[in-house]
Amino acid sequence: MPNRPLVRICYVEDDEDIQRIVRMSLERVGKMTVAVVSDPTQAIQTITDFRPDMVILDWMMPVMDGPTLYRQMKMRPEMKGLPVVFITAKASQRDLDELKSLGCAGTISKPFSPKDLPDQLRAIWSKLP
Amino acid sequence: MNHSTTANGTSGAPSSTHEVSTKAVEAEIRDRADPRQVLADRVAQLYRQMPVAIGATFIAGAIATYELQGRWLQELVLIWWAIVVTYSTAASLLLYAYHRSADKVASAPQWLRWIGIAALGNGASWGLAGGVFFRSLSDEQQVFLAFLFAGMAAVGIPVYAASWPIFALYAAGILGPFFYVLITFGNRLFVEIALLVPLFYAVNVAIAYRLTRVFHGGYRLRHAYGRLAEDHRLLNQRLGQQLVEIEEARRQVEASGRKLALFAERAPIAVLELQPDGTISEVNHAAEMLFGYAAAELVGGPVKKLVRPEFHHAFDDSWHDLITRRESISGLKIRNPRRDGIDLICEWTITPLVNFQNEVIAVIAQGRDVTAQLEAERMKKEFTSTLSHELRTPLTSIIGSLQLINGGVMGNVDPEIGELTMVAERNSQRLLDLINDVLDIETIESGKLTLAPEVVQVDELVREAVLLNKAFGERFKVRFESHGDQPDRRVYADRKRLLQVMTNLLSNAAKFSPEGSAVDISTEDADQSVRIAVHDRGSGIPETFRTRIFGRFTQADSTATRQKGGSGLGLAICKRLIERMDGRIGFDGRPGGGTTFWFELPRHAA
Repeated sequence: MPNRPLVRICYVEDDEDIQRIVRMSLERVGKMTVAVVSDPTQAIQTITDFRPDMVILDWMMPVMDGPTLYRQMKMRPEMKGLPVVFITAKASQRDLDELKSLGCAGTISKPFSPKDLPDQLRAIWSKLP
Repeated sequence: MNHSTTANGTSGAPSSTHEVSTKAVEAEIRDRADPRQVLADRVAQLYRQMPVAIGATFIAGAIATYELQGRWLQELVLIWWAIVVTYSTAASLLLYAYHRSADKVASAPQWLRWIGIAALGNGASWGLAGGVFFRSLSDEQQVFLAFLFAGMAAVGIPVYAASWPIFALYAAGILGPFFYVLITFGNRLFVEIALLVPLFYAVNVAIAYRLTRVFHGGYRLRHAYGRLAEDHRLLNQRLGQQLVEIEEARRQVEASGRKLALFAERAPIAVLELQPDGTISEVNHAAEMLFGYAAAELVGGPVKKLVRPEFHHAFDDSWHDLITRRESISGLKIRNPRRDGIDLICEWTITPLVNFQNEVIAVIAQGRDVTAQLEAERMKKEFTSTLSHELRTPLTSIIGSLQLINGGVMGNVDPEIGELTMVAERNSQRLLDLINDVLDIETIESGKLTLAPEVVQVDELVREAVLLNKAFGERFKVRFESHGDQPDRRVYADRKRLLQVMTNLLSNAAKFSPEGSAVDISTEDADQSVRIAVHDRGSGIPETFRTRIFGRFTQADSTATRQKGGSGLGLAICKRLIERMDGRIGFDGRPGGGTTFWFELPRHAA
């Protein structure tokens, strides 16, 4: 478990409504600082600037999907230890296995409860080495 | 007979193959001829000759009596004549009795004894004549009598040839007394003649012995031949029968061949008959229709004509595998180009036909066009995936927003507005449950459900399910009560899916229980399985609904749907999940009212 609390979250999501709900959930319920990215191609830049504790990626996005973005992140040495959580509506066992094989920190399936989301993320955070 | 002599003699080369085969033939003759039959034939031969013996004795006796009468031995001659007549009569009666006897084969040894006695009597009667009369006769009469004895002894050879011991007895009867008379006569010439008598006797017996062997061999051969002929006849009969059977089998094979050809010709699937080298030898009408070629264009050509050129190499490898392993393949999907260049995807069943030497003689390929089916499956999958994403994403926003409001995250709201947002959240949740149920049943029914089985402690699982559904029960003012605490009661199953089943059963029980009542959950061991039961105190299940309860989209009546909510898929999903985990599910009415829903899963041994 990291020796600091989970505070800074970078969230990559194309759907503006869900962006808003997640932002409210994390800021108001979880008292966290959130940076939201709508365009996945801008994500690398934002992460570099914002220096989050954790990155949340949507699975299905136009232009570039979550797994592709994740692979690009992994190619950068400075982002190697950065925990990544996927939010997905496709929760088949095969998909979950695929995510696990990519080395992601955890998954949250849609729909999630905004009341519980900060706790779910903190639970994943606490299990990190 | 020549062979027989060689075989019996000591002069033949013992190692020659010819002799071996002669011996083999002899052995075969001996094996085939029934010795009782052979003896009976010899006895019959002896009796056939009997009239000659009787006639010769009677006539010669009469002549001798005539010649010898009028002398001082008048009475003795008449007595002798009486003996001859008695013999002739007795022998005739014996002959008559033999002809009348029923079973000449079984009683042959007995008849042989009787004719032996008769022959001895016959010989003895002549011997008596020699012994009594010879000394007192004139020289001429002595010559006459000696001539008569020699003649009678000679007659005995053909008469008794079928049994040399009988001839020996007969001749001994005649010549024994004669020899004695001659040797004791006191005349040198007679002594010399007497010494010749045993010699002639021995020669005659030797001739009779040879003749007996000839007769014996002849009869044996006759019987062996009879048996052989009989065997041959039976063999022919059997061969004939087998030929008939083979002909019948051939007709049946031909008939089934015609039937098979008819099936192949009329079948809606493409059937190709291929040679082991991949040359097409026959195609049916459906194949012509499917690939757009006429039969004549395909037959004689390689089957690779129906495979895209870029796959020819892979096809060669698979074909070689098929011919080597000689095992049929089914469910093989191949991209087959039609004559007009459009690709079809066909599902093939390929069966090599193998002969008794385990060589492939032909390959039958049966193909079905599954292009449209695969396309439909792909579209269905895409649709399901789209439905899953496109419906869940807006629902995430709706439920998320409502939960933020109803959870007080946005501050206090007007109670009336709060009531409405609660209604909105509850119904959004219901919509989400419905979508999840539809996706679940689709996944299960398309066979794509993957289970993650693990060892599950049953009582612990029940406690967890009760805890998870406590809030739902409280909505209907129903409490869940679980009993049982057996840590070794375990099953091997998918934990998440079991919780899903439990949640379904518990929420159903809560929905249909009267307010304030309790729902009992029990676990027990049943034979090789573990049984989990949920008992409610509701009004029970209507009779008309019982058979449909595990079907899709079923609920007791539409009023219930409106009142209680639910997709009507819950129990259908439960049944399919439990059956996938090798269990069974069911329900019973309870005597005091209410229903028990139960499921059983194979017990996991520690």
